[in-house]
Amino acid sequence: MSIRIQRIMNSLEKAYTGPVCSVKEWDTKIIPRTIKAKLKEHRLENTMDLDNPINCDDDLADAFFKAGYELALEMGLLCTDTERIIKVTEKELQESLREYPEEVKFGRGKDQVIMRPRKPESEIEPIVCASLGIVVSEELYVPITEGLIKYPKLVDVLHGPTLATVYGKEVRSGTPYETLMGRYETELRRQATIRAEREGIGHTGIAGAVTHYGHLGGAAFFPGEGNNTMSLCPVELKTSMSNFHRIIMGINCGHNIRAGGFSYIGGYAGPAEGAILANIATDLLLPVILQATYVSSYVYDLQLFGNCGRKAVWANSVAIQAVSRNTNIMRNKIVNETAGPCTEMFLYEAAVGLMNHCVSGSSKTTQPRSAGGRYTDYLTPMEAWWCGEVFKSCAGMTRKHANEIAKKILPKYEDKLANPDKGYSVRECFDLENMRPTPEYEALYNRVRDELIELGMPLDKVYWTK
Amino acid sequence: MKDQLFERLSNAIAEGEVEEAVVIVKEGLDAGIPPLEIMEEGGTKGLQLVSQRFSEGTAFLPELMLAGDAMTELLALVLDKIGDEGASERLGKVVIGQVKGDLHDIGKNVVSALLSVNGFEVYDLGVDVEPKAFIDKAKEVGASIIASSTLLTTSMPYQKDIVDYLKDVGLRDKFFCVVGGGPVTPDWAEKIGADGYGRNATDAVELCKRLVKSGSAPGAKTEIVDLAQI
Ligand code: B12
Repeated sequence: MSIRIQRIMNSLEKAYTGPVCSVKEWDTKIIPRTIKAKLKEHRLENTMDLDNPINCDDDLADAFFKAGYELALEMGLLCTDTERIIKVTEKELQESLREYPEEVKFGRGKDQVIMRPRKPESEIEPIVCASLGIVVSEELYVPITEGLIKYPKLVDVLHGPTLATVYGKEVRSGTPYETLMGRYETELRRQATIRAEREGIGHTGIAGAVTHYGHLGGAAFFPGEGNNTMSLCPVELKTSMSNFHRIIMGINCGHNIRAGGFSYIGGYAGPAEGAILANIATDLLLPVILQATYVSSYVYDLQLFGNCGRKAVWANSVAIQAVSRNTNIMRNKIVNETAGPCTEMFLYEAAVGLMNHCVSGSSKTTQPRSAGGRYTDYLTPMEAWWCGEVFKSCAGMTRKHANEIAKKILPKYEDKLANPDKGYSVRECFDLENMRPTPEYEALYNRVRDELIELGMPLDKVYWTK
Repeated sequence: MKDQLFERLSNAIAEGEVEEAVVIVKEGLDAGIPPLEIMEEGGTKGLQLVSQRFSEGTAFLPELMLAGDAMTELLALVLDKIGDEGASERLGKVVIGQVKGDLHDIGKNVVSALLSVNGFEVYDLGVDVEPKAFIDKAKEVGASIIASSTLLTTSMPYQKDIVDYLKDVGLRDKFFCVVGGGPVTPDWAEKIGADGYGRNATDAVELCKRLVKSGSAPGAKTEIVDLAQI
């Protein structure tokens, strides 16, 4: 029995034997009360600084880390199926931090990239994965995916969109259509990588695996090292048997495990400060409990349907810095844009969010979340390219500099966050035959890019898609 | 003394202190304060307070959910004292859930809690709910509204299944079917023949109020509420 299987079985065992707690009790009492008490004990209440959306205070980040570390040990993860808590000891947590890998490889051959831990302001280039599972029409799946990975300097790993149909039939979540889709998605993604001449690119899958069925149906067709299994947990600090299904299948296939769990401002964790604590605890618990090779978690603002508003930018900056400064855990940090393709607002949201995540020390991102991921075919390669350009170019910037720039960009869009610009669908603003944005979209991109360079963002550093 | 009691009650509700709220209501009833006055001056005020704090960002989801629970318990407590009048206190019964395959529950929980604090009696079936389970529950409790939520495009067909099933068994005119969640649009609501769509939780409350007050039978038209767009 491999050590990975041994460890995941240990957690599985705890999911059947740990202390009993109902989901309702956990969500409405245990989580809010414990987090509130921790914030009070460490004097972290009302520390949010909206005038400085990107935190530059190391002591504050470290104080949050200390409280988040304690929270992780006090709470553990609740398994929603068995309603039992999977707890970890400090010894187990310390061991997982000690044994944590120094690097993670994605892909093979010329397409291989290496992810490393990053401290705040690190010069190490972070990794970009595209896209999030935004739903696209079956006939557009291959060309859009080909476009997403067209530029090796901008996008390193492929997650891909989600299929609306499988062989023309609606994919219904949790049915055999989804199981069938799992295999089919891998096939279409393989075609796209051949067309883009990037057959060795690392895959994260299965994008359309809404339940574990899709994953069980497809994961085996992306075998071996360099590929990743994604397993996202219910919020806050919870997990489920569906998560275990995906992870065990991933380990069977030799994958890296990308486990995640999001924290909400306004949700069970309470204010922004509470969401930071929950986020830090999540980052610490997923490697030890769910064998995460790297963690995909972040803070999200429930009222604004995303994390590009001031509160969430600040909260993410503190949470990312806290864990980067105090551990080597590598994290995939997602920016949740709310505006759609071909809008100024999307370009601004992505710029602020990704600059923040980069200078705060995240090792990777997955992008884009065009139009909040709500509408079918509202995804073009252009948004992924823009995200890659910003995220990679900002490596090496200081937080102070980034904070000054963020302060200038935020007012350009924050009033519209409650009612963001929907933008255009791929057919309206992108030419998939020539793999170029329409002239209007390209002009918009050039204008915003020039404007941000003027404001001091080092966008000319990495690659210019012109 | 009366005013003090009302204030204590509204604070207990707004802070999600269910047990404390129950004690205060019992105290009020023992002191001979009319049940309806207790509910109106203490209960409803508490609910208004928590809704307002939630939208300002000073109260959070747990408080909202617990305030809804508190109100349900308090109503049960005073129901035998006020009889039928009590029933009319609540606007109607809503069965709500996240459809099959979908585990995203935060938005649905906000909707469910806001409906509850705004006077609806809410039966929340949780996540990953089969279409038929919505209907069975609605029949069992005599609900007037079935509210289905989804954030997944691949789960949207289940919202259609609910409406279709009701039609096929001849029950379409018994329940208003309302839909919402990330990828759900007014067009989709119209296409599947739902009775209503709301973009966010505040819209959901307004939508359900409009439907129960409309006097028209379910299945006649699709009501769209998107207050932010006005
Ligand atoms: C948080 C989140 C998660 C969390 C959910 C945690 C939880 N317990 O809820 C986790 C990590 C578990 C998760 C998992 C997945 N997710 Co997710 N997730 C999100 C995210 C970031 C936020 C959702 C959210 O909470 N929004 C905030 C709430 C308040 O908004 P809301 O739910 O829309 O509700 C409001 C309104 O819609 C309305 N409303 C809601 N319900 C109703 C009902 C009625 C009747 C009415 C009138 C109104 C109404 O009022 C609410 C309050 O204002 C979105 C992206 C985004 N930016 O929105 C993706 C998103 C929804 N997820 C997505 C995907 C693909 C997944 C996964 C399949 C990923 C994967 N491959 O594993 C899994 C699926 C798991 C499953 N089976 O459900 C996609 C869906 C794409 C699509 N169109 O199908 C999105 C859009 C991301 C993307 N790709 O861009 N996710």
